[in-house]
Amino acid sequence: MRSETKSKSGAGLGGLTDGLHGWWRRATTWQRWAVYVALIAVAAVLPHPAIGSIMSPSGDWVGVLGQPIGIYVLLAVGLNVVVGQAGLLDLGYVAFFAIGAYTWAYMGTQLGWTFWPTVPIAIVLTALAGVILGAPTLRLRGDYLAIVTLGFGEIVRIVAVNAKPLGAAVGLSGVPAPVLPGLDFTNNAPAFYYLILGLIVLVIIFSWRLEHSRVGRAWAAIREDEDAAELMGVPTFKFKLLAFFIGAMIGGLAGSVYAGQLNYANPGMFPFILSATILVCVVFGGSGNLPGVILGAFVIAWLPEFLRAFEVTIFDYRLEEFRMLFFGLILVIMMIFRPEGLLPSRRRRAELAEGTGGMGSMGAEVAGPGADTTQEAVSK
Amino acid sequence: MLLEIEDIHVHYGKIAALKGISIAVDEGEIVTLIGGNGAGKTTTLKTISGLRPLTSGRITFAGQDISKMPGHKRVLAGIGQAPEGRGIFPGMTVHENLLMGAYARKGEVKAELDEVYDLFPRLAERRTQAGGTMSGGEQQMLAIGRAMMTKPKVLLLDEPSMGLAPMLVAQIFEIIQKINERGTTVLLVEQNAQQALQLAHRAYVIETGRVVKSAPASDLLDDPEVRAAYLGGDLGVDGDAPQDGEPAAKEGQVATPNGDASTREGA
Repeated sequence: MRSETKSKSGAGLGGLTDGLHGWWRRATTWQRWAVYVALIAVAAVLPHPAIGSIMSPSGDWVGVLGQPIGIYVLLAVGLNVVVGQAGLLDLGYVAFFAIGAYTWAYMGTQLGWTFWPTVPIAIVLTALAGVILGAPTLRLRGDYLAIVTLGFGEIVRIVAVNAKPLGAAVGLSGVPAPVLPGLDFTNNAPAFYYLILGLIVLVIIFSWRLEHSRVGRAWAAIREDEDAAELMGVPTFKFKLLAFFIGAMIGGLAGSVYAGQLNYANPGMFPFILSATILVCVVFGGSGNLPGVILGAFVIAWLPEFLRAFEVTIFDYRLEEFRMLFFGLILVIMMIFRPEGLLPSRRRRAELAEGTGGMGSMGAEVAGPGADTTQEAVSK
Repeated sequence: MLLEIEDIHVHYGKIAALKGISIAVDEGEIVTLIGGNGAGKTTTLKTISGLRPLTSGRITFAGQDISKMPGHKRVLAGIGQAPEGRGIFPGMTVHENLLMGAYARKGEVKAELDEVYDLFPRLAERRTQAGGTMSGGEQQMLAIGRAMMTKPKVLLLDEPSMGLAPMLVAQIFEIIQKINERGTTVLLVEQNAQQALQLAHRAYVIETGRVVKSAPASDLLDDPEVRAAYLGGDLGVDGDAPQDGEPAAKEGQVATPNGDASTREGA
């Protein structure tokens, strides 16, 4: 079965990631720690101009690393809890990002609070919003849940457009950046990059520990077959609510950092397309698999910036202006040849092969290639 | 009575699926519910295990009214179910699937694991294989084994013969018998009425959300109406004729043991 999948997506990329996967599963604790340390070291030197000249020849690499790349990675790890682990299709994730951002923007500009004590408040408020959204809607499944969450995302944005205390359509400006003794983050891209990097590491550890706990097992069961999970004694509703709660927390955290980073918050920062893009990060990278999701978010955030650099002209148009077109093309090609994502988890693959488990209606969407694989495997 | 269902009504939106069903299952019995497609057999099981809410009526289990109890708590009370379409976790290995069966329970699982692997040596061989990549018959075994891991007092089985070759069906039914002999009460829903009636002690016939007959299973095997409706009519063939009945024809896609990995029906 596994070898069948391999040969189907047997392009160079597939073989490489499968190899990595196998090596990782056999790796000893020491080897794994060496990889963690190496990855953190790479992340630490990433802002170096030499790397920047390759990765982002056209511009401000350190800035790009913090935003969009860092923020996307944070959001993707958060959304992965909801979509990748619990299998709940949330199309309104940007709502939590917005609530986090507005919480800090409001408290920082109107109430004169400082950043650090406000962040936990923003996280709690956003998590509560997650429960408020989840409690009435999590009885819905698949497509229905997706539609309701999509609505929630829009409601939050429209409330922001109309709320006078939040500056209505203009938003709130002059949002302070965080300050540490001897370090002002205002317009300090490297400081923001390392702050976000630290938060990413924390969030990854948090998410990883959850995944490998009883909670994570319950989420996996819910994702793969919700009714069966209930029949195993898993309180499915409670655990789905918990997934929304934790996903929202991470979204809120990212939001408050984002508002501090940009020094403003306005409704235009939180369009539906951002929810969709973060979902793309998760699915493109390999839903449910943390390294995949992180890589996915990195690529999705970085690629448009990278493509910006190509100053070739075709018929009087600069190639740069086509960059979103190429970006879309790359996504489409990727999803045709490797629907399970860049770095899928072993489990997610089996779910896709079955053509049912995972991500509500999205499981059905990808049933085509998955079902093919099953039949091929069976006929051998 | 271990399990008693009194006059339950269940609705899907405005459509009544169950219109007053009463069933009783005594400790140690195998009771079967037979009936055609859409009669309400699966809904009855789902209502007992708590996946569907009651509109009215009462379910009593081991002397306790469980009508309002959420599904995940009924598992701890002693109701285990292998759901329709098997409902195994495709991304988990066989072993992980079985461990999920013990999710809600505290304490050791070794004894139950050993018992399940003893009942289904095939599962022991496939311990590390992902559930979703197994054949239909193996998945059915896994679904039953996983339900046994919840240490049920009563085991609810929803169409364990669905989509399986006759030889595998016979094998699964033998195991159900063995499970019952080891002390677990069984409530079996089947379209394969012939085989279900041969296995069960008592049976209920359900039609359009109502119980239309209830009798010892052997009586129903000889009942002319039941024979006509569910056993392919009295064609002068002995009771043990292979499934030439209407239900068997409906389930016509009888597949080879390995050929039906993807015939899973959504619950």
